[in-house]
Amino acid sequence: MDRINSPSDLERLRREIVAQSDPSETRIEVCLGTGCLSQGADKIVAAFRKELEERGLNALVSGIKETGCAGFCENGPRVAVYPEGFCYFHVSPDDVPEIVSKTIVDKEVVGRLLYVDPVSKDVFTTMDDIPFFKHQTKNILRNCGKIDPTRIEEYIEKDGYRALSKVLTFMTPEDVINEVRAAQLRGRGGAGFPTGLKWHLTRISGGNPKYIVANCDEGDPGAFMNRSLIEGDPHSVIEGMAIAGYAIGANKGYVYIRAEYPLAVSRLKLAIERARECGLLGNDILGSGFDFDIEMRMGAGAFVCGEETALLASIEGKRAVPRPRPPFPSERGLWGKPTALNNVETLANVPLIIRKGAKAYRKIGTERSAGTKVYSLVGDVNNTGLIEVPIGTEMGKIIYDIGGGCKGGKRFKAVQSGGPSGGCIPKEQLNVRVDYETLDQLGAIMGSGGLVVMDEDTCMVDIARYFLEFCLSESCGKCTPCREGFQRMLEILERITTGEGREGDIERLEELAHIIVDTALCGLGRTGPNPVLSTIRYFRDEYEAHIKHKKCPAGVCEALFESPCQNACPADLDTHGYVALISEGRFGEALSLIRERNPFPSVCGRICTHPCEFKCRRGETDDPVALRLLKRFVSDYVSVAPKPYQRSSNGVKVAVVGSGPSGLTAAYHLAMMDYETTVFEALPVAGGMMAVCIPDYRLPKYALNAEIDAIRELSVEIKTNQRLGEDFTFDDLFRQGFKAVYLAVGAQSSRVLGIQGEDLEGVHKGVRFLMDVNLGEKVELGEKVAVIGGGSTAIDSARSAIRLGASEVTMYYRREREDMTATDEEVTEAENEGVRFRFMVVPTKILGEGGKAAQMLCAQLRPGEFDSSGRRRPVPVEGQEFTVDVDSVIVAVGQTTDLSFFANEGEVSTTRLGTLIVDEDTMETSKTGVFAGGDVVRGPATVVEAIADGIKAALAIDKFLGGSGKLVEVTRKQARIDEIPFDLEAEIVEQRRVEAPLLPPEERVLGFREVEQGYTLNDVIEEAKRCLHCDRKLME
Amino acid sequence: MESILINEENIAILKEITSKYGGRPEGLIEVLHQAQEAFGYVPKDVQAEIARGLNVPLTRVYGVVTFYNLFTMVPKGRHTISVCLGTSCYVRGGKRIMEHVKDLLQIEDGGTTEDMRFSLESIRCMGACALAPVVRLDKDLYSHVTVTKIPEILSRYS
Repeated sequence: MDRINSPSDLERLRREIVAQSDPSETRIEVCLGTGCLSQGADKIVAAFRKELEERGLNALVSGIKETGCAGFCENGPRVAVYPEGFCYFHVSPDDVPEIVSKTIVDKEVVGRLLYVDPVSKDVFTTMDDIPFFKHQTKNILRNCGKIDPTRIEEYIEKDGYRALSKVLTFMTPEDVINEVRAAQLRGRGGAGFPTGLKWHLTRISGGNPKYIVANCDEGDPGAFMNRSLIEGDPHSVIEGMAIAGYAIGANKGYVYIRAEYPLAVSRLKLAIERARECGLLGNDILGSGFDFDIEMRMGAGAFVCGEETALLASIEGKRAVPRPRPPFPSERGLWGKPTALNNVETLANVPLIIRKGAKAYRKIGTERSAGTKVYSLVGDVNNTGLIEVPIGTEMGKIIYDIGGGCKGGKRFKAVQSGGPSGGCIPKEQLNVRVDYETLDQLGAIMGSGGLVVMDEDTCMVDIARYFLEFCLSESCGKCTPCREGFQRMLEILERITTGEGREGDIERLEELAHIIVDTALCGLGRTGPNPVLSTIRYFRDEYEAHIKHKKCPAGVCEALFESPCQNACPADLDTHGYVALISEGRFGEALSLIRERNPFPSVCGRICTHPCEFKCRRGETDDPVALRLLKRFVSDYVSVAPKPYQRSSNGVKVAVVGSGPSGLTAAYHLAMMDYETTVFEALPVAGGMMAVCIPDYRLPKYALNAEIDAIRELSVEIKTNQRLGEDFTFDDLFRQGFKAVYLAVGAQSSRVLGIQGEDLEGVHKGVRFLMDVNLGEKVELGEKVAVIGGGSTAIDSARSAIRLGASEVTMYYRREREDMTATDEEVTEAENEGVRFRFMVVPTKILGEGGKAAQMLCAQLRPGEFDSSGRRRPVPVEGQEFTVDVDSVIVAVGQTTDLSFFANEGEVSTTRLGTLIVDEDTMETSKTGVFAGGDVVRGPATVVEAIADGIKAALAIDKFLGGSGKLVEVTRKQARIDEIPFDLEAEIVEQRRVEAPLLPPEERVLGFREVEQGYTLNDVIEEAKRCLHCDRKLME
Repeated sequence: MESILINEENIAILKEITSKYGGRPEGLIEVLHQAQEAFGYVPKDVQAEIARGLNVPLTRVYGVVTFYNLFTMVPKGRHTISVCLGTSCYVRGGKRIMEHVKDLLQIEDGGTTEDMRFSLESIRCMGACALAPVVRLDKDLYSHVTVTKIPEILSRYS
């Protein structure tokens, strides 16, 4: 290209280029950013060339453009065909012939390559409407993914170098600085220092020559904004640097770029050469008399080079060791001369500010921080990639609307902002408007813009350890606080994550952290402790679980658990043990192993929410092992529960109030420890919620009663129709010689909606309704039934209503489907049985006719702001109320406890919500000798948690009464589980879960027959063999 | 420690590299990059020659070589496996990938197989975070790597 000698030359050239480009021409664009390149995008380009050549179609296409990264990295490689704008994702070279035939020749779209939103299932033909892009504001990244970064003509076509031209023609250096100051541009590298001020300070410093340095070291793991910018639009940075040089009075600029970015290095090198060829870099730029040139310097793998003084040392060819400031680089920088150091993203903002003007630029962003910020959204999120949004955007919007939420339906836990110098934002703070100051207040930092999303499978203590290890290995070693302090902090964290945590460790970490923050020499040291402080601030309970209880709830710190499945089970069941036994066909022993802790394998095998399966590592390859169904099989197959060892009695009496899963489990274990146990139950039948709230089609009575009978066989007496507070009191129990009482009365009172008409005939409470059905009472529902709620009780109410003959059963839930607390399986089966769903709806009034419910007034809701649950709070939409006809309404919106049996207020301490307060370790209430667990303490929870409490309570009571308080576990050893062989070398082949049959929906709704049929013998062994044996560790 | 400057050819290559920055200490990192690119590693004799060429003390060269992660003084295997342990890759299972590779090849992080086929290193971030977990083999980037894919990937490199 010819040298451009003046601003008018530049304008003329631009008009020529614009005139030459014909938007109606067919052209193909292929993304060649590092991400897509790694997936073979270059082969796609080659395939296009070959195909067009072979078919003689070169005349049809004006060109194949290789662009930079558009940011949708999770879905690459990306190909777009214009002028239609059809955008294809996950393209492979094999797709090219079809694209050429259909789209290039026939102008038709190739449907299977279009983007489908994973949640809404909407299909998108062009890029701009995809939610990921729609919610963004691409200013800095405006050219990335649209132009060919190797062709300066394309940059010029899109108003490139216009700002430089304007500056050199109409503005003085002071004018430029004032404009940048007025624009409120803040450094995008992390600290957010006002750029205009920095330039001003550099300009007024004495000393020559001056330098402008662009920081493209981007060492934060998880950040690739700078890389993408340089790969996709390198000239925007060159132009910004030239303007910066002019403003501060520098004729030389350096770009410091990481060696780990080979593509960015080569693209920038090429861009600089092109700019030089055109005279846009070098002497007398555009005839203005201003000389400016740029040299590139590569990093060599040191994170500390992101720190300005370390970076400057590196350019000088030295070890990257920071030095104290003042004096700041603006006074004494490179080789002792005044130097302005800016992040490349900051510099890319400059041409925009000059072209639009500060006022227009300030229209986006917040009061103190104008403009947009580029973030790399990565980690456990669906739409990983590069995004750009105005400063001040809600974090929840970034994670959910743009990011699409967490992958695999996992729950969001925290997002790390600012890399190893930053902090984590938990779900309670998702409504934070992301800005320098707001993040600061939460203990995080904006940093360079790396946002790493972490889901429930992340251990925050492990993450803190990870970041600290990183900072320690990257520490330059010059100052003691960083070099020694991080070492000591790391030692403490390593102890904690390997089960050697001690009382006082958290305080020690905090103390060390504060000392280092106050005394370290540079930013690395001063901010390194942030992740530790931040995780302690929001996840202190996780630290305490590691230290006090030697547990890692997330299932990451391997020294603290044997297998992820066992770790996830609230009852700490030897899951990997029974799976191993089942794989060998040793069903009796498997059942014994389970029953050593859990007396309800038949129940759990049918209705457990299986937290174990969510952590099963097999799930990372294909499907989790069907642990619940495995458990069900052995409890069905082994028809007689093996008799435990000969029971004897120690003469000590213990009372249990409530015969639900918690009470009966406690009774079971107490009896196994030889206590004389009596269970008092208010209802006429035993079993609690298992008996009266879970319908037969999920838990047949015979299965439940077999296990209750097994407990009776241990000489446990279950007295029904005995209600605490009516038929007996606590004092009665102690007078009768019971030495301890376990209170497990559950939470069976239904919550109310609190709306008008809830007391009409035909409006039922969920729990009461299910109880009536289970106890054989006749319930008339009519044809049209509305069920309000989203949990198991609501789903069971709906499915029961269908079976009772209602022709139209609709569930109304105030949030979205994925927010329902019922399991996925339950919701799907309800759908299959004909239950209809309406989401984001809440009833506001029930209208009656003749005292009976006839209509329901409903409000349509929409997602509002994020609240402290980390979800958007549903708010009513004005003017969108509607009415539905109903014959019955079943309200199942949760349960509460009923503590009316207490003689006096305050007899036993309770929480504000009405649950009992117990000691965390002994489970004792404030009343001596009275212990409590299950829903009455937790609030409505799951059966397996109630069982876990029952085990804990029995042991606690044993300790209270002078016993050891330890569970005797012999089956593992007896069964020699650790010796069950398996092939260590076997390659893991993808093999999906074995399906277990279900009763066909048409048959199900005729009655209450059990829906799940369970595994056959061959199937259960095949399924058990999919286990990866995570508990086995290599002995050196 | 091996020596590089044992033949005329290598000596000539190094002279060419250092001549571009003759007498300019600031070019040290650039020169080291090119020397490592040419020879694969930077042992003492090469460092001494660079020190002479750039007019800096050998201790300074040694200090820089040992400070920056990218430079190595020992020969590496024919192929370098770089497992990314940056935050995004870490959160998406990078650690397990690393353990698996270590197991398979029976070497530690930073080590080289006996037959000099593979060198293993953990690196902090390659900037391909959206495609985590990421493994680089020589210049090839592999994304969304799982433990099951590792043997096949390694088999492509003899």
